[in-house]
Amino acid sequence: MSKGVLVDITRCMGCKACQVACKQWNDLPSSNPAFKDGLTSPPDMDGYTYTTVQIEVIEKDNDYTMRSGKRQCMHCLHPACASACFAKALQRDPKTGAVVYYPHLCVGCRYCMLACPFDIPKYEWDKQFPLIAKCQFCFDPNGKYDRLGHGLGPACVDTCPTGALKFGERDELLKEAWQRINRDPKYIKKVMGEKEAGGTSWLYISDVPFENFSFRPNLGTRPLPEYSHDFLKWTPVIAVGWGTLLTALYHYTKRREKIAAEKDKNVHM
Amino acid sequence: MSANKGLLQEIKEYNWKFTMTPARKVLFLLAGLGVVCMIFRLAVGLGMTTNLSDKWPWGLWIGFDVLTGVALAGGGYGTAIIVHVLHRGKYHAIARSAMLTSLLGYILVMAGLFMDIGQWFNFWRPFVSWGHASVLFEVFWCVSCYTTVQVLEFGEVVTEKVGTKYHAMFKKALPVLMIIGIIFPTLHQSSLGALYLIMVDKLYPLWWSPYLGLLFLMSSFFVGPAMICVETALAGRAFKHEVPIHVLRGLVRISGVFMILYLGLKFFDLVNRGVFNLIFKGNLEGNLFLLEVVLGVMIPIFIAFSGYSNTRKGLITFGVLVSGGLIFNRMNVVFTGMSAAIGGWYFPSIMEWAVSIGLVAIGALVYCFAAENFNVLDHHEEHHHNATA
Amino acid sequence: MTNHFIDFKNSDVFLMIGSNSAENHPQAMKWIMKAKDKGAKLIVVDPRLTKSAGLADMHARLRPGTDIAYINGLINYIIENNLHFKDYVVNYTNASFLINPEYKFEDGVFSGLVEKDGIKSYDAKTWQYQMDGDPVKDGIREEAIKKDPTLQDPNCAFQLLKKHVSRYDLKTVSQVTGTPEEVLKKTYALFASTGKPDKAGNVIYAMGITQHTYGSQNCRALSVLQLLLGNIGIPGGGVNAQRGESNVQGSTDFAMLNHLLPGYNPMFYASKHKTLQDYMDKDVPKTSFWSNRGKFVVSMLKAWYGDKATKENEFGFNYVPKHDGKNRTHMGIFEEMSEGNIKGMIAWGQNPAVGGPSSFQGRKAMEKLDWLVAVDLFETETSAFWHRPEADPTKINTEVFFLPAAMSYEKEGTVTNSGRWLQFRYKAVDPPGEAKSDLWIADRLFKAVKKEYQSGGKYPDPIFNMVWNYDIPGEDEPNIDQVALEINGFEVGSNKALDSFGKLMDDGSTACGCWIHTGYWYVDKEANTVAAKRRMNKDKSGLGLFPQYGFAWPANRRIVYNRCSADPAGNPWNPQKPLIKWDALAGKWENADVPDFKAVEPAKEPGGQATPVTPDKTVSFLMQEEGRGRLFAVKGVNDGPLPEHYEPIESPVQNIISKQQTMPLATKFKGDFSKIADTGSDKYPYVGTTHRVIEHYQSGAITRNCPTLAEVSAHMFANISPKLARKIGVNTGDDVIVETIRGEITCKVAVSGVCVPLNVNGKEVEVIGMPWCFGYKGIATGASANDLTPSVGDPNTNIPEYKAFLCNIKKTGKH
Repeated sequence: MSKGVLVDITRCMGCKACQVACKQWNDLPSSNPAFKDGLTSPPDMDGYTYTTVQIEVIEKDNDYTMRSGKRQCMHCLHPACASACFAKALQRDPKTGAVVYYPHLCVGCRYCMLACPFDIPKYEWDKQFPLIAKCQFCFDPNGKYDRLGHGLGPACVDTCPTGALKFGERDELLKEAWQRINRDPKYIKKVMGEKEAGGTSWLYISDVPFENFSFRPNLGTRPLPEYSHDFLKWTPVIAVGWGTLLTALYHYTKRREKIAAEKDKNVHM
Repeated sequence: MSANKGLLQEIKEYNWKFTMTPARKVLFLLAGLGVVCMIFRLAVGLGMTTNLSDKWPWGLWIGFDVLTGVALAGGGYGTAIIVHVLHRGKYHAIARSAMLTSLLGYILVMAGLFMDIGQWFNFWRPFVSWGHASVLFEVFWCVSCYTTVQVLEFGEVVTEKVGTKYHAMFKKALPVLMIIGIIFPTLHQSSLGALYLIMVDKLYPLWWSPYLGLLFLMSSFFVGPAMICVETALAGRAFKHEVPIHVLRGLVRISGVFMILYLGLKFFDLVNRGVFNLIFKGNLEGNLFLLEVVLGVMIPIFIAFSGYSNTRKGLITFGVLVSGGLIFNRMNVVFTGMSAAIGGWYFPSIMEWAVSIGLVAIGALVYCFAAENFNVLDHHEEHHHNATA
Repeated sequence: MTNHFIDFKNSDVFLMIGSNSAENHPQAMKWIMKAKDKGAKLIVVDPRLTKSAGLADMHARLRPGTDIAYINGLINYIIENNLHFKDYVVNYTNASFLINPEYKFEDGVFSGLVEKDGIKSYDAKTWQYQMDGDPVKDGIREEAIKKDPTLQDPNCAFQLLKKHVSRYDLKTVSQVTGTPEEVLKKTYALFASTGKPDKAGNVIYAMGITQHTYGSQNCRALSVLQLLLGNIGIPGGGVNAQRGESNVQGSTDFAMLNHLLPGYNPMFYASKHKTLQDYMDKDVPKTSFWSNRGKFVVSMLKAWYGDKATKENEFGFNYVPKHDGKNRTHMGIFEEMSEGNIKGMIAWGQNPAVGGPSSFQGRKAMEKLDWLVAVDLFETETSAFWHRPEADPTKINTEVFFLPAAMSYEKEGTVTNSGRWLQFRYKAVDPPGEAKSDLWIADRLFKAVKKEYQSGGKYPDPIFNMVWNYDIPGEDEPNIDQVALEINGFEVGSNKALDSFGKLMDDGSTACGCWIHTGYWYVDKEANTVAAKRRMNKDKSGLGLFPQYGFAWPANRRIVYNRCSADPAGNPWNPQKPLIKWDALAGKWENADVPDFKAVEPAKEPGGQATPVTPDKTVSFLMQEEGRGRLFAVKGVNDGPLPEHYEPIESPVQNIISKQQTMPLATKFKGDFSKIADTGSDKYPYVGTTHRVIEHYQSGAITRNCPTLAEVSAHMFANISPKLARKIGVNTGDDVIVETIRGEITCKVAVSGVCVPLNVNGKEVEVIGMPWCFGYKGIATGASANDLTPSVGDPNTNIPEYKAFLCNIKKTGKH
């Protein structure tokens, strides 16, 4: 059992209250961002923005419609970023499901940014000693920014006026998601995050394709760390096997060389 | 202490040589520029100095300096297998030179990495954090250890001239070091490719493959001889040192065999995953893939097994095509293959170029210095060979 | 609002027109979503694809300024298809009342149009009821009016309405609005489905309706629509104005408008009110609840002047400055300012340099001021007008004072929301630096003025005789409880708070600052605090009335006109949602809400028994002189008894509904404020409209200074269609110039489906939408869209026509 949030795109009005609440709760500084389209701002998450509401104008039925979707860390059940981190600066808290960043461990290699299938981790590019930035699910083992540990929902969820965000146990939210989908034919018959990347704590339901909110269309369902594991599991085998083989070859060829040299000597003698 | 003092004394009294040529002056200038840029980068951070962004967190330094640098430096361990494990005597001529290139390559790779990481004072963290689920963890350990091993290996060469009393010790340890020094690169050459396994949703299917690690390993192996061809051609000009054609040709043919295997595996994998047709889609990815495979693999195979490889020109062509093809391959993985998924494009900043070029210039200068002062090139090898025999 | 936000959950269909709740009233959206969960449908009528439209079940795009065509079309659809709620219409509206047979509507104008000194006005004589007796002397008594309950008489209000809207068939409406006929039909059919006893249709509107030269008529059209469908006074129904600010309802209640006294009593005019008795004779109706107006006004004077307000001095009537009859609205003031007739201005929490129409000219007009006092949280564009980008400070002689004010969370007091709920809020944090509460500033300002008068002055009596007893010894802040008590009203002598405005008297025995608020400061014993401070979550009705949460004016009534929620016999139209109910067995009313009619007759003598009023004796609309909802407005609006479509003052097309191109009575201004583009102008071929964004509050004076909010909307932009973008060769993010005859602005362009070209009678009309919240001060800066808007106004309210004007757009020279 771990926590989760259900995001219902059909209920989101793009008010950005969650985005502002996140900045305020986490003491994140604001910027003067570049212009994108008059809707989404900043254009994307960045080193100081854990979440953005992506607002899209979508073609539909000979006209257009508008949909908004909050984007942030999905808090994967099998986080690619955590598995990619060779310094263990990203770790999943098994109780809450939060994938938490520990800045003091970070080397700053940015492999997590590439590994993440949702392109979530961002970097403080302007700093001399930059760190990674991403949503912590309002879980903070050090306490200062902790909400989940106190039994509260994340700041974003608690500020949502329309119920587009709902916090709870992931299992129960998943059930509710399917209930909503089965009750109303407008929904796409899919819960984003149920299986994607091996399952995520944040779940999305929508009546427009999820690609509108920057989800890759080709997201697999296999936990991504398994891809690395499939490779790494051979390491000890190769190390020992290859070492043994090389040592054997070394001695064999050396001996052969010696014999050849001796033969050579005999011939010349 | 007295021994150390003796060593210092010895270093002081050694007859160091370094010839200044116009080419070396240019190299010094580039190296100096690179160092200045590196200091600037460390002072102000990455945002101001590079064109890296949240979309393109990895750029030239990782793509070229690390991923490509390590592969090009792969000549060292390949030659080590042939010479020190398989005891193919005729290749002794290039063993030390290849090893030196490799060592320098790795040191520069580490310098490049150091430039690239944000919390560089934290570089030691992975040693204690033990993030063993990460492919990068393997890369990190192997590269660090292998560089150490290579330093020790090169110690055997240095102590011939300086610190001679340790020479016997180094010489005794050499076989063990050599074997360790082969295991590590085998692991990390492949794991550099395996870094991209986790990006299964992002890397274009022509490049992503479950055999990515094996393909990187194989390519790092066959690029070794190619690099030696290029290197010896350059060194030959600079140091009037010519490696016999038959030695190089033998290596090139070994290379050719691996390239055939590589190509076979690649096509088998593409067909197996049902993405073979993507090659001929006519899009950027397809065309660049075709270019990479034809120029960097197919034509070189043809050269290797044709009479053309019996000429110096042929060998150099082979070397340039294979090395270029490998660089192309790595760039395709890091940039072309990712661009569709990431969106937009990345071009390195002047600073990034300056640092990369500066690092190569430093490497070239150190190579020259080592070649002038130690027994790196072949006439000493002959002596060496005789001595062992 | 007739209803309130929580009540939205009871609606079946929403018609959101000229309003964008998702963007501007997000808390309203919360309740709309709750209704949608229960199957309610949302129709959004808006030129732009707004965030609300994105969440709507249907979106009808219409050309800015053609709302009346759309609504009249809907009314016509309802009448044509017999979808109106007949029992409701006959019993609760003036449908059956006969109108003067001389009433005429020809060539787009109503009978009685007169012109004097170039200014047009209506003489409403021919719009009146056929009735016995003299309406002026006896009032408009319902029983004296001639009626035809069959609604067949050609002169009855219903037939006149039917005839009037019959010209608005689907095809014609589509040609005017640019909305495809099938979309019109689809939305009409859905909303008309609420004309049934058990269905509630909710009209939500805002500035998209009001900010037109026929803004009042837009509202009228919506009222007529809701009366026809029987949607007024019922849970989930109503005509619901989404006010522009959290407390703008409160400020309107307190006469922020120049023609009103607190509590919506007319202002004293020098021209017609020589004495208080004149006011009583001319402005206190003979019928309806307004017949008590004298009590409200006398109690108000008593609150202002206390002991000095006596019967002998007409309760201080002469202390009150009288309106001079000139245009004292925003545009009138700025016109006079530009002419140098206004010497000083206090801009208190107001930012006309960004918010006013033709704001470029408005800022220029401010240069004529001798002094300006700005009371605000941050240095606004108004307070900084003298060093604005286009000005030369060395040439401006205005002396500017800036008084830093506390934010709403930095002071205590009530906020009145759009649903008329007064809710007391405690101070959360101290104001920073020298910032002070508005009450403190007003208090010190008055004391300073009083001090000035001590050294002599013309007619100091109003100042010296004003009650100003708000000091608490040793405290810096004035006594807010005392202020609240004065507003609430109290018994003179005992000073005991009154519980109801029914207790107000016109003999000086009661004092009350604002009659509609009476009871809000009366202690609720159960809640153990005054009504406005209550926070009890009890909702016995399940309708979301929450009678003990805050206080709703008037009389804590949550849904006004609620008599109409039951049939004439007192049985609720929708038994599932009873607001009021006549219990025939017990012979009394069962009420969930405070009844908006006289439900009991108080005892004749003290200690006597109050008697219930039987349903047949009750009045459905007790604020109206005839006691009925007006399908045909015999009074109340000065520009016509029925809503009629006119083109905006600046329009790309000719009016095809009638020969009258624009609202004949629209107010226009002189000098700098007179520029208007020609109809169908080639130079300004596109229709411009302004809107708000959720990230910025009004002119952005606060929000553009909050880093977190400045970040989420940091740039001024104009929305255009992909087609127009191709035509002028721009992509999203390019810089463009938007120009009107009044000026030009440079901003970013956003190309998307937010705006699309509309087919208006065969002509393709492009719409350009721009937020108006930007200015040159604060963290997020940008050009002010109001530099483009015209200074023309509605004849009733003088609200400027911000929402429809002609403009051009082009790429900047920069690349």
